[in-house]
Amino acid sequence: MRIFTTLTLLFFSLLSFAQDDLLDMLEDESDANNNSEVFATWKTMRLVNIHSTEMVKKNALDFRVTHRFGNMGAESGGGGHTLYGLDNSSDIRISFDYGITEKWQIGIGRSKYKELIDLSTKYKLLAQKEKNAPLTIVAFGAVSITPQKDPDTRYSDWQNRLTYVAEVLFARKFGQRLSIELAPGIIHRNMVTQVLDGEGNTLTDENTNFTLGGGARFMITKRVGIIVDYVHTFSEFRGNYKPQNFYDPFGVGVEIETGGHVFHLTLTNAPAIIENAYLPETTDSWAKGGVKLGFNISRVFQLGKH
Amino acid sequence: MTKILLTIITLVFSITNVMYAQTYKSASSNIRFFSEAPLENIEANNEKSTGVLRTTDNMMAVVIPIKSFEFEKALMQEHFNETYMESDKYKNASFKGKINEKINWSKDGEYDATATGTMHIHGVDKEVTIKGTIVIKDGKINFESKFQISIADYKIKIPKAVITNIAEIVDVTMKMTFATK
Repeated sequence: MRIFTTLTLLFFSLLSFAQDDLLDMLEDESDANNNSEVFATWKTMRLVNIHSTEMVKKNALDFRVTHRFGNMGAESGGGGHTLYGLDNSSDIRISFDYGITEKWQIGIGRSKYKELIDLSTKYKLLAQKEKNAPLTIVAFGAVSITPQKDPDTRYSDWQNRLTYVAEVLFARKFGQRLSIELAPGIIHRNMVTQVLDGEGNTLTDENTNFTLGGGARFMITKRVGIIVDYVHTFSEFRGNYKPQNFYDPFGVGVEIETGGHVFHLTLTNAPAIIENAYLPETTDSWAKGGVKLGFNISRVFQLGKH
Repeated sequence: MTKILLTIITLVFSITNVMYAQTYKSASSNIRFFSEAPLENIEANNEKSTGVLRTTDNMMAVVIPIKSFEFEKALMQEHFNETYMESDKYKNASFKGKINEKINWSKDGEYDATATGTMHIHGVDKEVTIKGTIVIKDGKINFESKFQISIADYKIKIPKAVITNIAEIVDVTMKMTFATK
């Protein structure tokens, strides 16, 4: 009985004690209701080569200028006489991407590489949250067309000019500094080459390939980070065909955010900027100096209410 | 023994009940901040703040979830959270203090009032006195307060590259309504 009394009294005194600190009462409540989306997993919608899970915000327009200089190493056509590739440009791309909703964006871009025009879209399937949602998942799709002059009859069917890419991007932000992404995908080219392998056999490139990309960002300060990415294209043809070597695009760069702009300074062996071109056509190797200095500038304009 | 126990329980119950009755939670709120800078004005609104008011001893507290500030530009909102307020680390701002004037909470009236207490922003506590008005009408208590915050006081850092974009002093307007019935 005595214990009961003491407990009851204790209970009530605790209750009134808890009641006493008004701030605690509110903070507890506020934290309990708080399961907000994890934001700024990436600073911009691309890493070096691969797409990130970052989206253009609703009614915002992301204007980007991306540049890849020529190969740095002499063995791959660079060297001192081209100022280590600065005299050349492998690819230049100008693009506009627009956020239709918070979860859906569309974009258009034009590259120097094969004069490619690309249309792309991203849709956010899932957003990482503080609790119960560990990943951000985004679907990405792009189609490219080359309006190049036909050198022979390869484009007699105009559909031969088209290449499609679809990817699913899985990303997670680990604390304030580290974000990691995995990007499985598929590429389909309407037209592929047929070659002789040097031993009299005819080899045909695949129309459809699976790809697997991965990337990460590590923030050094709040505004400066290191970005890396890598993509592998699964292809039997690429393994068997000896005269021409294919390599997996590997990119590394520095990311600088200044408030209105995001700048990238990059090094990559990819010859082109968009997936439709660099996934099947990277024939430059880091080991042989096929590395290109590159940069990217992204400026976001808020055109309407978000 | 049982009698004493019952008496105590009743007593405690009635006390807590009284305390309950005189502690009010906010029914609605709006916190707005505005800063004028050479390049662009920055404005944000927050409707998700909550407050409590205890009329027995004039104590009040307000909690402001930082991520609930809405900006016109989405990117600005992201930068506000990520680089300035670090809202993953410092989720809430708060004020807890005592209203200095004697207020008759049970009668309609208007007061110019001041509150002294602790302002908590970006993990930094600062003793402040803020000015405002209290209007009691039809069972509702309305608070309105305008005050300025120097962002340097709360260790919010602005990089040199964007220093002309952001003002050092921010005007804050806080409105909160408590329903007493």
